[in-house]
Amino acid sequence: MAEIPGRPLRILLAKLGMDTHTVGITVVAHALREAGMEVIFTGLKQTPEAVANAAIQEDVDVVGVSSLSAGHTRNLPRLAQLLKAQGAADKLLVAGGVIPEEDLPLLQAAGFAKVFTMGTDTRDIVAYLRAWWGTRGAPQPPQP
Amino acid sequence: MSRPQDRVSAAPEAQDVAQEAERWQAATRAPHVAAHPERREPFLTQALKWPIEPLYTPADLEAAGFDYLTDLGFPGEYPYTRGTQPNGHRSALWTMSQVTGFGKGEDWAKRARYMLEQGLQGLILEHDLPTTNGYDSDHPLVEGEVGRAGMALDSLEDLERALDLPFERLKYLMSVCNAPQPVNLAMIIAALEKKGVDTRDFVLHIVNGILIEYTCVGRYIFPPLHGLRVATDCIEYIIRNHPNWAPISIISAQLQPAKANPVQEIAFSMTIAMAYLDAVLARGLDIDTVAPYFHFVINVDMDFFEGICKLRAYRKVWARLMKERYGASRPAALKIRMMTSPTTIALTLQQPLNNIGRLAIMATACALGGAGEAMTTPLHDEAHALPAEEAIRVGAALQHIVAHESGVADTIDPLAGSYYVESLTKRIETAAFEEIDRITAMGGALRAIESGYFQRALGREQYQRNKDVEEGRRKWVGVNHLVLPGEQRQLKIFRADNRMEEEQVARLKALRARRDPAAVAAALEAVRQAARSGANLVPPCLAAVKVYATHGELCDAMRDVFGVHTPDSQLTGV
Repeated sequence: MAEIPGRPLRILLAKLGMDTHTVGITVVAHALREAGMEVIFTGLKQTPEAVANAAIQEDVDVVGVSSLSAGHTRNLPRLAQLLKAQGAADKLLVAGGVIPEEDLPLLQAAGFAKVFTMGTDTRDIVAYLRAWWGTRGAPQPPQP
Repeated sequence: MSRPQDRVSAAPEAQDVAQEAERWQAATRAPHVAAHPERREPFLTQALKWPIEPLYTPADLEAAGFDYLTDLGFPGEYPYTRGTQPNGHRSALWTMSQVTGFGKGEDWAKRARYMLEQGLQGLILEHDLPTTNGYDSDHPLVEGEVGRAGMALDSLEDLERALDLPFERLKYLMSVCNAPQPVNLAMIIAALEKKGVDTRDFVLHIVNGILIEYTCVGRYIFPPLHGLRVATDCIEYIIRNHPNWAPISIISAQLQPAKANPVQEIAFSMTIAMAYLDAVLARGLDIDTVAPYFHFVINVDMDFFEGICKLRAYRKVWARLMKERYGASRPAALKIRMMTSPTTIALTLQQPLNNIGRLAIMATACALGGAGEAMTTPLHDEAHALPAEEAIRVGAALQHIVAHESGVADTIDPLAGSYYVESLTKRIETAAFEEIDRITAMGGALRAIESGYFQRALGREQYQRNKDVEEGRRKWVGVNHLVLPGEQRQLKIFRADNRMEEEQVARLKALRARRDPAAVAAALEAVRQAARSGANLVPPCLAAVKVYATHGELCDAMRDVFGVHTPDSQLTGV
């Protein structure tokens, strides 16, 4: 398992549109926090614009979107596009929830590095993020 | 709560049994277990994770202070542990129902007519997410969601189409629309008026359950204090104007999939009911009038005995609360009204036919726990397909198999007196009262929501219960046990027909162009004024929907006064 760089990974977890299912994102948030990551939640019923702004303002390393309605084919590419347009393409984009296999190419093309489909073990999500964080090179010194 | 003289007479027997049980443990069981270790260490109930003893005896009832007359009594009598019906299900079975709701108004009506032709007398109307979150179908935030999870509702026109039904057959309509309830209620009343339906001969049941939305479901609009006020307006309006209708349901069945354990579920539901009750009582109504209006919808999960004991405890906790804390005296106020259902969260996407077995076990638990007035059953194939005809038929047959073939409904409360069942029922009741007292001490359910107490408690349960599955403490067939190699199953997403959304939006735009803008503006202003002054919101909403103010516009008028609820991590439990 890769070592975590000096500071904990910061991740913004987001819910877009009218999708108010929170059990999945809650479980993931708890698992990531328990793994030492810093988790920020956007709250419900967000627009892609609001999530992109929050990701930039909060200076997170990763943006994770939970989607359990069919909005992902529209909302997720829009979010990726907004982040790119605002010079934040370096943030890792991941998604999870009820996302059919057939939509994965679309999301990957839009810039989502990984989609955790239904039934993913939270330990696999933690391992994936740790591995990615481990490849991010030398830890940035903590700001005074 | 046994009286001392009962203890004296009961003690010798229980003491003998306790001594004999110790002897059995040492002489017979312990040597056996030494040679044949237990297959689980420890044995725990599914949700509460309470230790399960190898054997329950009269000594356990004695230790719990169980007393037949005070703890159980008789069916149809206080404290209703053995059921609210004097003859159980021997006179009438519970009402068997199913949920429907999708598409535009006329799509819903078509489906509803079909179900009425099948002999159903009651229907449940679910609105789509734009509606339940207080937006019109053309709001930018709702694109792709119109008519998807339920029926789209923008204006009175939509309900006029939806309620184009044979009202000589339809006697009961349940409507689920919590945050924007005064608007929904006003539209239904206006549509019934237009159709000339005699509202005394028909029961409208609104769920009106905004407080649970703040704890886990998320379909809220206004801050909790205003959400409660809006709900209270609807309850008061119905009690005063349509006393035969049902103005409030506590959907404990939303707390259960959010992983509330039975104790949390009872305590959160009851304190939430108390928050509504207190608000309605403050409007000058009395407890014996108001309490009979409360309904509970309760899920049962796979732990058979946790489910059964929970249902028995619900009845007793409600009866005791109404009598001891509110001073209610009418039997109708002391008797809980409940509808039960097997939970969907026990069902698996994998090997979906296994779900029929699960549903049969849970429906049997519902029946043994006393079913209530009605039972609904989810469909075994619900997780990855739209309800297919066969799944609907199997779902309906399941309840009939439990009711007519198993015999569990043929005598009243048949598990009463079981040492395990009575121990667990009493323990759940006691723990629920402790939690109710804790919540009451922090200021009641409204404060518990505003401080995030409920939400964080549920968040912790969600995480722990997920871990139980991931780490194999809970064996779940098809998920982490007896997994079929190579089985690839996916939740199917209902990809809404875009044409439906476009049509709905086009209709809404046409309506906006056609109606009288001055009348709409004045009607919306009257709603804002009522929101500010504290006057009941239903009458101005009723006037506004009649001039075709839209659902979203009316919600916006209330947003102008109440503001919106935007909870953070602490207040969502995420």
